[in-house]
Amino acid sequence: MSNASLEATVDPKDVQGWISNLGTEPSAAVPLLQAVQQEFGYLPRKAMDLIVENTEINASQLFGVATFYAQFRLDPVGRNLIKVCHGTACHVQGADRLNTSLRHVLGMKDEEEDTASNGSYTVEDVACIGCCSLAPVMLIGEQAFPNLKGADAQRHLVKHAKTVGEILPGKDAEKEANP
Amino acid sequence: MSGEGLLINIGEGTCGIAAGAPEVTEILRKRFPDAKFTSVGCVGMCHQEVMVDITNPDGKTYQWGNVTKKNLPKIVRFHRGEADLPKQLLIKSTDEPDTDKSQYLLQQTRIVLRNVGQINPTSMAQFQERGGYTGIEKVLKGGMSPEDVIQEVKVANIRGRGGAGFPAAIKWGFARGAPGKVKYLVCNGDEGDPGAFMDRSLLEGDPHAVVEGMLIAAYAIGASKGYAYIRAEYPLAVEYFGKALDDARKSGYLGENILGSDFTFDIKIKEGAGAFVCGEETALLASIEGERGMPRIRPPFPAIKGVFGSPTIINNVETLANIPWIINNGGQAYADLGTEKSNGTKVFALAGTIKRGGLVEVPMGVTIRHVLEDIGGGSPTGRPLKAVQLGGPSGGCIPENMFDTLVDYDAINATGAIMGSGGMVVMDSKSCMVDLARYFLEFTQLESCGKCTFCRIGTLRMKELLTKICDGEGTMEDIEILEELAPNIKQASLCGLGQTAPNPVQTTLEYFRDEYIAHVKDHRCPGGVCKGLITHTIIQKDCTGCSICERYCPVDAIEGELKKPDTWVIDQQACINCGMCVEVCNPDAILAA
Repeated sequence: MSNASLEATVDPKDVQGWISNLGTEPSAAVPLLQAVQQEFGYLPRKAMDLIVENTEINASQLFGVATFYAQFRLDPVGRNLIKVCHGTACHVQGADRLNTSLRHVLGMKDEEEDTASNGSYTVEDVACIGCCSLAPVMLIGEQAFPNLKGADAQRHLVKHAKTVGEILPGKDAEKEANP
Repeated sequence: MSGEGLLINIGEGTCGIAAGAPEVTEILRKRFPDAKFTSVGCVGMCHQEVMVDITNPDGKTYQWGNVTKKNLPKIVRFHRGEADLPKQLLIKSTDEPDTDKSQYLLQQTRIVLRNVGQINPTSMAQFQERGGYTGIEKVLKGGMSPEDVIQEVKVANIRGRGGAGFPAAIKWGFARGAPGKVKYLVCNGDEGDPGAFMDRSLLEGDPHAVVEGMLIAAYAIGASKGYAYIRAEYPLAVEYFGKALDDARKSGYLGENILGSDFTFDIKIKEGAGAFVCGEETALLASIEGERGMPRIRPPFPAIKGVFGSPTIINNVETLANIPWIINNGGQAYADLGTEKSNGTKVFALAGTIKRGGLVEVPMGVTIRHVLEDIGGGSPTGRPLKAVQLGGPSGGCIPENMFDTLVDYDAINATGAIMGSGGMVVMDSKSCMVDLARYFLEFTQLESCGKCTFCRIGTLRMKELLTKICDGEGTMEDIEILEELAPNIKQASLCGLGQTAPNPVQTTLEYFRDEYIAHVKDHRCPGGVCKGLITHTIIQKDCTGCSICERYCPVDAIEGELKKPDTWVIDQQACINCGMCVEVCNPDAILAA
């Protein structure tokens, strides 16, 4: 679901910079998209158009690649990104509950929704991050949290939100309003 | 005591960091400002993270496990001579090398993992102190021809550790003989199997060993250009491998005229972008070329026509990390380990319901039971182990009564599972094999590139049928359709993804058919996992009325009066059976059945 307030402003000079570093040939498609996503957290349409205009990569290839690989997203992401690992070890040890409990505090009811309505957090499922002996695992930003139960995930999120000054639109926000 | 003379090694691989290593390091640095600190890779005892090795000035070493901010003061006081040894945190020490906890490593044979957890992966000097780069020196300065190298690897009989098990020497021979001005060597570090982390640990913990293996392989096949394709989900591996490349280049191990010879080779990193199919070699090549990762028809094989149309060899990280050892110790020493057709060692990533999870390297030919029970310590829950899943989505489940199967490519294939890249996920009686099959089919369906109809649509149909069965709406006919679809998908798919995707379904149907039938006929999930087949109820006699379940219930389905146990009930209409209440309930007063 796209959230207009989170749309990035693309400076063509940045895109030009990446193109001169990474090349204009078709094999540069993946690294270029990775550079764009690294900067904006997603692939803004304008950046994609600039790549097509200024390289040998045509729109069909670029959009084909962008929609093929799981890493890329076309919608803006929230100010903070949570990655919930759904590798086998995490799955058999209850990774689903992390999603249930995170989505609950974030007030995300619609299944298609992956970003909280206030743009605070995006919850993304990822394939194995390779910490299987510490399953289930999630990442908030770069920080990993091991051996989680659903309730732990919620506690870590609440703590994180407090540190970075985000409001959680889910249940706890209601409780704060009517203690 | 300022810590002068203390040597402190801290495991800071991805898993160590996740378990809290940076916090522990920070405190130790404050307590012992004059100690010498080394950040090492993950030794593979993930169940003991955070791990700290401290060597006293008298030369005695103590290995501590499960170190946290809270128990750290006990260790600090011990090393200051102010307190007794905190025994419960000790894994082993110079005085006590043979403890219950140290069995995990003592029972392993470490060839590939020889340096992992022993050295600082960003230090080329430490790698060289342990014999690093002597393999490539032996090759280039000792006058070994490319044919000699291939012969040595042939004697070792090392088979591809990525899962397919194709003999490395034969593959190299094809590329050596293939005409082409430029040849490529690709290191496949796209470890996509969920539940596997061997390659991550190697790239993070001993990146130079992979570089050295690539150098030797490139020399053997005559490659001048190399790619290391590493998953984007492994940022630390990308960083450390990149550092290793820079250092190797500065020291003349990469670039033109390596070590004064006429051998020229350099390596570029290609970060993957999250596609399981890219572990398949032709899809990986397409991805390097900037295309969607879709497999191509073989022949021509990559050894003849690979990346950008040139002869290309793709080897797995683990295969390559073995090569320097084989060159240094001789192919025969490697071949002496293992069984007749599976030689050397294999690294497994042990996870799931297991007491001691982590990296395990064993000689081929031991039993799976040895890995799970002697090394892994068996079940941590008190419930018996039920099965082990080998080879991820391409593999299968091996039931407990077949745990005596040998770690051997052919023996494992005979069970319907595959050796795979080495992921081993262990399950006890509280897991559902139908749900597991559904999980894997959901995965393969999502990851199918869409090129072959049977893979694209077949895996979707299988997933739908399995979901139906998990929801309690399946019929016996659905099971029959699954059995009919499985061989069709295998036959009509171009690459390994589709050819192996039905394995989890076929093996669970073969070994755990009773669970499928329980779902279909009795509308019951024996493992208590499938949400559509369980209900949650409060056992009021055990309830304390604390209300914690109410607070965590995401759908407000729980109600009652504070401190009045007999008032608490779950609204079955609203309940989504997520299990949050079971998790948070202290007196275990919620029944999921």
